Amino acid sequence: MHCRSSIHALAQAVALLTTIGCAQAFDDTTYPNLKGQWTRAPVAGATGPPSFDPGKPQGRGQQAPLTPEYHAIFEANLRELEAGVPGTWPGPSCLPPGMPATMTAYQPMEIIVLPHTTFIRIDYIRETRRRIFTDGRTWPDHVEPGFDGYSIGRWIDEDGDGKFDVLEVETRHFKGPRAFDLSGIPLHEDNQTIVKERIFLDKADKDLLHNEMTVIDHALTRPWTVKKSYRRAADAQAEWPEYLCVERTETMRIGGETYRLDKEGYLMPAKKGQKPPSLQFFSSSQN
Amino acid sequence: MSHQELIGTVALAAALAVALADAQAFDESKYPDWSGAWRRIPVPGVTGQPGYDQTKRLGPPQQAPLTPEARAIMEASMAEQAKGGQGNYPTYVCLSPGMPRIMTPYGMMEIVITPETTHILLEHVHDSRRIYTDGRDWPKTITPTLQGYSIGKWVDTDGDGRYDTLEVETRGFRGPRAFDATGMPLHSDNQTIVNERISLDRSNPNVMLNEITTVDSSLTRPWTVTKRYGRDPNEKPVWEEENCAEGNGHVEIRGQGYFLSAEGHLMPTRRDQPPPDLRHFNQPPE
Repeated sequence: MHCRSSIHALAQAVALLTTIGCAQAFDDTTYPNLKGQWTRAPVAGATGPPSFDPGKPQGRGQQAPLTPEYHAIFEANLRELEAGVPGTWPGPSCLPPGMPATMTAYQPMEIIVLPHTTFIRIDYIRETRRRIFTDGRTWPDHVEPGFDGYSIGRWIDEDGDGKFDVLEVETRHFKGPRAFDLSGIPLHEDNQTIVKERIFLDKADKDLLHNEMTVIDHALTRPWTVKKSYRRAADAQAEWPEYLCVERTETMRIGGETYRLDKEGYLMPAKKGQKPPSLQFFSSSQN
Repeated sequence: MSHQELIGTVALAAALAVALADAQAFDESKYPDWSGAWRRIPVPGVTGQPGYDQTKRLGPPQQAPLTPEARAIMEASMAEQAKGGQGNYPTYVCLSPGMPRIMTPYGMMEIVITPETTHILLEHVHDSRRIYTDGRDWPKTITPTLQGYSIGKWVDTDGDGRYDTLEVETRGFRGPRAFDATGMPLHSDNQTIVNERISLDRSNPNVMLNEITTVDSSLTRPWTVTKRYGRDPNEKPVWEEENCAEGNGHVEIRGQGYFLSAEGHLMPTRRDQPPPDLRHFNQPPE
């Protein structure tokens, strides 16, 4: 085959492949394989409930770079927790943790990668369905604030092997109340939080996923960066648990106060000397 | 181009195509375009809360093939609701409606198709589903859930080389569940089987049909209804985040429902309803 003929043949082959390529719109091998069930990777030596920075002890041990005002709010919350009162963590009221705490993955996580959107499903309190838009959109003029915020992402081929390996995400437009973790480390009530993420598989272990998160928030004196990791379940058909907060919660908010529920469902004080809820709307206070 | 060159060209294309086919594992053009946001299509003349059969009004007009026992539960539920109570309606405290009711649907719906799973993402109480299409069999044990465990099969009914219908069977339930807001019950044995055929309307690709057949011990025969969903014309729909617990004006204490006033104080839901038992408090209520 002469050179010109070779080029011609190659052009024809490419033309044929273009037809095939049109039919096969989504080349999923261009993206990393994030399929399966991911759970929070255990951290050696860590005990108790998971913290925002998994590499440090919970509560004060997190050394969150809080402003003096928000440090005071956090300390007051810790005193309430020590007194047995549910603190500022919204979970007991069945409100979702919201971002960035969502990505602590209190329950198993699924990541669904499509060209236009990466979906993150975590069934914890709210059945979280994060949508990370990767269709090249810009920030909309108006976004309805949400606990999970509005996320725009970009796939990057860092090592130039023709395959994406890092998903960079920026999330804005939040509402509250939100806290970093169960110890109640607060985010600012102005909800102007910006969360940046870099999500990628471990180069040596494809069943280990990392998420480098940086949070910019007015409750913080500087951006706070932590690294979270997730382990892929060996079972490709792992069970997805149903988390129904209303059946699990042991507290109830009435009249701006939090009360506890005993095993039989009777209301109880959550703190010493707490007044019972007002019964002003009942014609009889007799049971 | 000589005959030999032509063969060479085809061989080259074939070799490249094989390599490409290996690389392109998910041929999404084989699946129907169900992208976008879907909502229940209101039926003209049918007002109020949506009934399970959305073409008919709630309650007796549904003509559900209920057993006498199930009919009595529904009537008692509606009678309690008429007095201000909640009846057989667990959703009011933010418990998911469960299947088949979640497919009414009450909020926005997105359908995310992958070869292994079709995800139905619903903005409502706690309603999203996974429909496994990876060829799996029923597991030996299923942890019962309100949504159940769904196995689906894609079907190319018109033989055009592209799937057009998703057939789904769902089992493995727990309760409590009701068909709609009247409290029309599914049986407490939770042996429900729900079969769905989901497809686009052939005359309008922005209308989706879901033919749902429910087999349940509360019914005298399988009950089939067809639900219709309309696609949002906005290609970048605004997804509303629904959080049931946020601003929910209902609480339940020891099985009794109460309203919360604007200030969050307990209120009765019906005339002469007694207040909750406050035996653990050593101070009188205000």
